[in-house]
Amino acid sequence: MSQHDDPHIPDWNEVRTALTRAARERILILDGAMGTMIQRLKLTEENFRGERFKGWKLPLQGNNDLLVITEPKLIEDIHFDYYMAGADIAETNTFSATSVAQADYACEDAVYDINYQGVIVARRAAQRAEAADGRRRFVAGALGPTNKTSSMSTDVNSPGHRAITFDQLVEAYGEAIRGLVDAGADLLLFETITDTLNTKAGIFAARKLFDERGIDVPIMISGTITDLSGRTLSGQTPSAFWYSVRHANPFTIGLNCALGANAMRAHLGELSDVADTFICAYPNAGLPNAFGQYDESPEFMAEQIEGFAAAGYVNIVGGCCGSTPEHISAIAQAVSKHKPRAVPTAEKFLRLSGLEPFTLTPEIPFVNVGERTNVTGSARFRKLITAGDYTAALDVARDQVANGAQIIDINMDEGLIDSKQVMIDFLNLLAAEPDIAKVPLMIDSSKWEVIEAGLKCVQGKALVNSISMKEGEEAFLHHARLVRAYGAAVVVMAFDEQGQADTIERKVSICTRAYKLLTEKVGFPPEDIIFDPNVFAVATGIEEHNGYGLAFIEATRQITDTLPHVHISGGISNLSFSFRGNEPVREAMHAVFLYYAIQQGMDMGIVNAGQLAVYESIDPELRDACEDVILNRREDATDRLLALAERYRGAAGKEVAAKDMSWREGTVEERISYALVNGITEFIDADTEEARQKLPRPLHVIEGPLMAGMSVVGDLFGSGKMFLPQVVKSARVMKQAVALLLPYMEAEKLANGGVETERQSAGKVLMATVKGDVHDIGKNIVGVVLSCNNYEIIDLGVMVPTAKILQTARELNVDIIGLSGLITPSLDEMVHVAAEMEREGFDIPLLIGGATTSRVHTAVKIHPRYERGQAVYVNDASRAVGVVGNLLSADSKVSFIEDIRKEYAKAAAAHERAESEKQRVPLEKARANAFKPDWASYTPPKPSFLGTRVIEDFDLEALARYIDWTPFFQTWELKGRYPAILEDERQGEAARQLFDDAQLMLKQIIGEKWFKPRAVVGFWPANAHGDDIRLYKDEGRAEDLATLFTLRQQLSKRDGKPNMALADFVAPDGVPDYMGGFVVTAGIEEVAIAERFERANDDYSSILVKALADRFAEALAEAMHERVRKDYWGYGADESFAPDELAAEPYRGIRPAPGYPAQPDHTEKTTLFRLLDAEQAVGVTLTESYAMWPGSSVSGLYFSHPDAYYFGVAKVERDQVMDYAERKNMPVADVERWLGPILNYIPGPAIVAAE
Amino acid sequence: MNAKHPLEPIPVTLVTEPIHLVPLDADTALLRLPANSGHGHADGEQCIACAMRTDVRALLFDLLEGAKQGLRPGFKRVVVDASAVADKGQVIAALTGKLPAQALRDHTVARLFYLAGAA
Repeated sequence: MSQHDDPHIPDWNEVRTALTRAARERILILDGAMGTMIQRLKLTEENFRGERFKGWKLPLQGNNDLLVITEPKLIEDIHFDYYMAGADIAETNTFSATSVAQADYACEDAVYDINYQGVIVARRAAQRAEAADGRRRFVAGALGPTNKTSSMSTDVNSPGHRAITFDQLVEAYGEAIRGLVDAGADLLLFETITDTLNTKAGIFAARKLFDERGIDVPIMISGTITDLSGRTLSGQTPSAFWYSVRHANPFTIGLNCALGANAMRAHLGELSDVADTFICAYPNAGLPNAFGQYDESPEFMAEQIEGFAAAGYVNIVGGCCGSTPEHISAIAQAVSKHKPRAVPTAEKFLRLSGLEPFTLTPEIPFVNVGERTNVTGSARFRKLITAGDYTAALDVARDQVANGAQIIDINMDEGLIDSKQVMIDFLNLLAAEPDIAKVPLMIDSSKWEVIEAGLKCVQGKALVNSISMKEGEEAFLHHARLVRAYGAAVVVMAFDEQGQADTIERKVSICTRAYKLLTEKVGFPPEDIIFDPNVFAVATGIEEHNGYGLAFIEATRQITDTLPHVHISGGISNLSFSFRGNEPVREAMHAVFLYYAIQQGMDMGIVNAGQLAVYESIDPELRDACEDVILNRREDATDRLLALAERYRGAAGKEVAAKDMSWREGTVEERISYALVNGITEFIDADTEEARQKLPRPLHVIEGPLMAGMSVVGDLFGSGKMFLPQVVKSARVMKQAVALLLPYMEAEKLANGGVETERQSAGKVLMATVKGDVHDIGKNIVGVVLSCNNYEIIDLGVMVPTAKILQTARELNVDIIGLSGLITPSLDEMVHVAAEMEREGFDIPLLIGGATTSRVHTAVKIHPRYERGQAVYVNDASRAVGVVGNLLSADSKVSFIEDIRKEYAKAAAAHERAESEKQRVPLEKARANAFKPDWASYTPPKPSFLGTRVIEDFDLEALARYIDWTPFFQTWELKGRYPAILEDERQGEAARQLFDDAQLMLKQIIGEKWFKPRAVVGFWPANAHGDDIRLYKDEGRAEDLATLFTLRQQLSKRDGKPNMALADFVAPDGVPDYMGGFVVTAGIEEVAIAERFERANDDYSSILVKALADRFAEALAEAMHERVRKDYWGYGADESFAPDELAAEPYRGIRPAPGYPAQPDHTEKTTLFRLLDAEQAVGVTLTESYAMWPGSSVSGLYFSHPDAYYFGVAKVERDQVMDYAERKNMPVADVERWLGPILNYIPGPAIVAAE
Repeated sequence: MNAKHPLEPIPVTLVTEPIHLVPLDADTALLRLPANSGHGHADGEQCIACAMRTDVRALLFDLLEGAKQGLRPGFKRVVVDASAVADKGQVIAALTGKLPAQALRDHTVARLFYLAGAA
C-alpha cells in the first residue's frame, strides 16, 4: 500500500503507565459514534469504492471500515472532531475489519490494510489535536465481535451447530490485531461483545502475538447488554462475563451499546463492584422516540453519565451509537467535576463462571463437583454417550445442576468413542441449555487434546482436570500456559517424572515444585490452582497402603499451610475401592475421610453427593473402625474393618429385607402391599384368602388391597425407584392373587343369576404385533405394566392381520389399540392399520411401539393417515402408563393430544429440514467413489467346503458362554453395559436380581435341554459385478447360482471416505473370491414354554424365557461365526478371543443380515433362504414381511475381507431405486414399498430431471 | 420432571393488517413491532442494541423477563402486531426458527413460543 506512512510505534509499557496514572487522576474520555458521523456525510457508492475498489463485484456502500482506505481524510476529520471535543482516546474505524465480517463484501483481502490504515488515520488526527492544545491523545484499535458466534448456534433447531470455531476466530482476530499493532495502536479494544467465547479467541490471538514479539499492548474489553434480563447476548451475567475474560488482565472492563445510559447503570454497578481493574462505559445516545429523535440530547446523556461518575462506577466514559462530538463535549464537561472510581482489590478467591459466576469463598467449606456426567464415573452416562443419546445425557447434567451441583465434571474418556469429538459435540449442545450452562464446567480428560478441544468450546471460566509433571517440566509449563491463555483454572495432580506421589513428602514436594513453576514462570494466579494429592485405596491388605489416607490428609495440611491461596481436591471413591459392593461401608469411609481432610483444607472433591453418609449419624462402631483405617491408628485396622464390613454387606439391598420376616406381622392389607412391591409370591395365596374372608365380596379384594399395592408399585416405578423386571414380578403376584379369586367371582355371578358383576377396569387396551412380524417381548412388557395399573389387556399375539385387529376392537369396544413391530416392513403395516382405522371411522387412540418405530416415523408417516383419532409413539413401558392414562382421561385428553400434535408438527418440520439439508450424491458419483481394496495384492481365502452344511450338535452350556448380556438388560429397560450394570448405583439391585433369575433359568434350560438349536451354513464361489454379487454353481464360475443385490450409500462424503456397498468387499471377476451365508435358530420350543408360563399366570418367566431364547440365537450366530473363521473358512485359525470378547467384534470379517443397515432390503432374505434351503434344513420360514419364524432366529451373509465392516446405507435416491429395481427385476413400486423407510424422496411419478 | 420446560409453550398470533382488531384479554400480551429502530444509522448496522428494537424474538424475551421480574403482568398468549413492519416475512421467519439466532435468548424464545396463526 502506498499509503503506509511510517507508523508511530509506541512503547506500550509507557502507554500503560501513562494511562493508568491519568485514569487515577480523572475520568478519561473515549470518543463517540463513528457510524453516526459517517451517516451524516451522505456518502455514495463511489466514496466507498475509491480507487482501490473501483470495479468491485459487490456493492460496498455501508462497508464503513473501507473509508479509512478510500476516504481517509473524512475519517481523520471525524477523529479530530472527537479529540477536540474532549476525547483522550479515539477508536479506530475498524469495527468490522475481520475476515469473518468482511466476507459479506468479499473484502477479506483488505483486512490487514484496513486495520493498519485505521490506526494511521486516527494517529494523524491525534497528532493534529496534540499540536493544537498540547494534550496527549491515544488511539485504540477497535475489534468488533464479528458477525458469527462460536458459543451458540445460529440455528435454533440445531443447537449443537457452530458457524465458526475458536481456531478460525483466533486466525481472523490475529490478522486484524497484527494490522493494528503493526501500525502502532496504543490499545486494543474488544467492543460490543456478543459472544464471550469469540472474545476469548481474540484474547488468545492477541496473547500469541504479544508473546511472539515480547510486547504487552493494553487491552480494553467491552460487553453488551441489550435486554431486560441483564445478561450479555450469549447469556452471561456481568460478573460471569468478567470472570471469563479476566485472564486477559485488561486495562478496562465495561459495557457499551446499550439502549441509553440508564439501561446500563445497574450492570455497570455490578461490574464496578467485582472488577479489580478500570471500568469503561459508553452507552448509545438513548432510545429514539416516536419521531425518530434521540431522547438523549447531549445535555440529557451527559447528565445520566454524570450519574455514573457520581456513583463512583466509572474510570473512562464515552458514547456509542447516536452520539456525536456535541455529546462527548457535554459528557467531558459533566464528569470533570467528579473523581474517578477507586479500583478495588479483589480477594484471592477461585472465581469461575458458566452463564453465572461462582466464587469459592471461605463460607463454602467444600465444593462437590458433580460426577454424573463422567463416563468413567457413571455407567449410565457412558451408555448414553456411547449410544449417542445426547438428549438423555443432557438430562443427566440438568438433574445434577438441579440437585445443587456447583460445578459439573465432564469426562468423555471412553475407548469406544472419539473422545475429542464427543467432548466438542456435548459441550456445544450443553451451551444451549441455560439451566445447565449456568454452572462452571470441569473439563476432565487424561488426554490433553481432549481438554484443549473442550476449552475451545466454553465461554465461561472452566476448570481443567488435570495437568501434571508426569512428562516433565517442559510439557507441564506448555500445558499450564495454554490453560491460562484459554482463561481456565487448573487441577494439578501430584505426579512427576517418577510417578504418582504416594508419601506425604512426595505429595508436598511435587505440589511445591509445581506451585513455584506456575506462579513464577507462568504467572498463574495461585487462587486458580487446585492440587490433587492423589486419593489411593486403603485397607487393601497390602501393608504399604495403610498410610495412604493419612498421607493425603497430612499433605493437604502442609500444602495449604505453605502454598498460599491454593485449593485441594481429590476423587474420593478410590479410597474405598476394596469394599466395592458394600455401599454402607464405602459411604462411611468417604464421610470419615472428608471429615478429616476438610478440616485440613481440602475444599473440593469429585464425589457422589447422594452416596455420602453424615459423619455424625454413622454407627459409632463402624465409624471408629473407619477412622482406624483412614488415620492408620492401629496395625489390625484393616482386619477389623473387614470383619465388621461383613455385617453391612448388602444391607441396602432388598435381599436382606426379603429374608427379614417382620413384614409378616402387619395387617393383611400391609402384607399384600409388601408382597406386591417386593414381588414375593410365597404367601400371596394365603393372604388373598384371608382378605377374601375379611371383605364382603371377592371383587373388593382386587379393588381394595391389591389395587392399592399395585398403585404403590406404579408410583415407585414412575419415580424411577423400581425397575421393569421388578414390576413384572409384582404383576406375577397380582395375577396369582386374581387367579385365586376368580372361582369365587364366578360363583357369585352364578348366584346372581348370571349377571356379570364386572370389575371396573381403567380401560380396555388391545395389543397386537402387526402382520408379518413375530416379535413380542416389548409388547408383552407393556401389556403387563398396563395391567398392573388396572387396564384390561386384550392381547391378540403376533402376526395379526389388520382386519382382525379392527374387528376385535369393535366387538369388544376397546378404548385404545397398541401396535408393535420390530422389523422395518412392520412400519408400513402400521401405516396401513392407521389408514384402515381412518377409513372405518375409528377415533380411539393408536399407540405405536417397537424397535424400528420412531417419533419421526409416527409423526411423518402414521399420524397424517389417522386424523379422526390420534397416533402416539410410545417406545417404552415406563411411558406407556402415563400416555394411556392421559389419553383416557376426560380432563387431560384434549390438551394431551394437542401437545402431541404440536410435538409431531415440530418433529415433522425438523425432519423435513434435516432431510432437505442432507446432501445426497447421484448414484453414478457414489459408484465412482466406491471402496476399492487393492485386489491385485490380495488373495481371498477359500472355504474348506462349498455348498451347505447343517449343524445340530450344539452344547447349550458351551453356547451360553457366547451370550452377550448387555442387550438382555436392554430388553428389560435397564440401561447400561454388562457387567458394570450390576454395580450401577441406581439400577444395580434390580439388575442383580434379574441376572440371578436369568442364571437360574439358564441352568434349567441347559440341564433340561429346553432348546434345540440348529444352524445351516453355506459357501459359494462369488464375484462382484458392480453393486451385485454373483454366486456360481462351482469353481468354474461359468454358471450362475444366484445374484445378491446390494445398495450403495449416497451420502455426500467428506474427507475422502468412500460410498460403501456390501459388494465392495467381494473381489471382481478375475480374482477367485467366496461368500458365505447362514441361518441359525434357538428352536421352536421356546414358544410352547413361554405359553406354559403364561397359562400359569407367570408373565415374568414367560418374558424371561423369550429373552433368553433371543440371547441363545445371537450366541449361536456368534459361535457359528467363530467356527466359520477358525475352521470352515479357516482364515481366522489363529484367533484366540474368549467368548465374551467377541461381542466387541475384534475379529476379521462381518455377518450382516438383509433388512439391517448395511443392506436394508429384507426381500434379499428370500435368496439367502433358497440358497441354504433353510426351511428344510433348520425349520425357519419367512413371513410375508420377511420376519423369521420362530422369532429366535438369526440369518446373515459372511464376508471375509479384512477391511469389511458394518456400515449403514442410510437414505437412497430415486436414481438408485430405479437402477436397483431393474437389476433385481422387481417393479419399482415394490422396491419403493420395501425400502420405504430409507427413501430420500416421496415416491410418486418420476419428475423429469430439471437440472 | 418439568425442569426442561419450566413454562408452557406460549402461542403467538401475528397481525399483519393495520386495521385488524384483535380481542385482548387479561392473559394476552400485545406486542407492537416498530417500523424501524429509529437510530441514526441503517437498522441493525453496527448496533446490536437498536437491532433488538425491531427483533420480535428479543422483544418476546423482554416480555418474558418483564413478567419474571414483576415489571408487567404474566401472560399465556401473545398477539404480535407487525402491521408497521415492511418485511413481515422476516417476522414469520423469526417466529418459526428460520432466522439465524443472534443471542442465547433466541434459543430460549424458540423453545418457549410458537407461531399459532395469523389474525
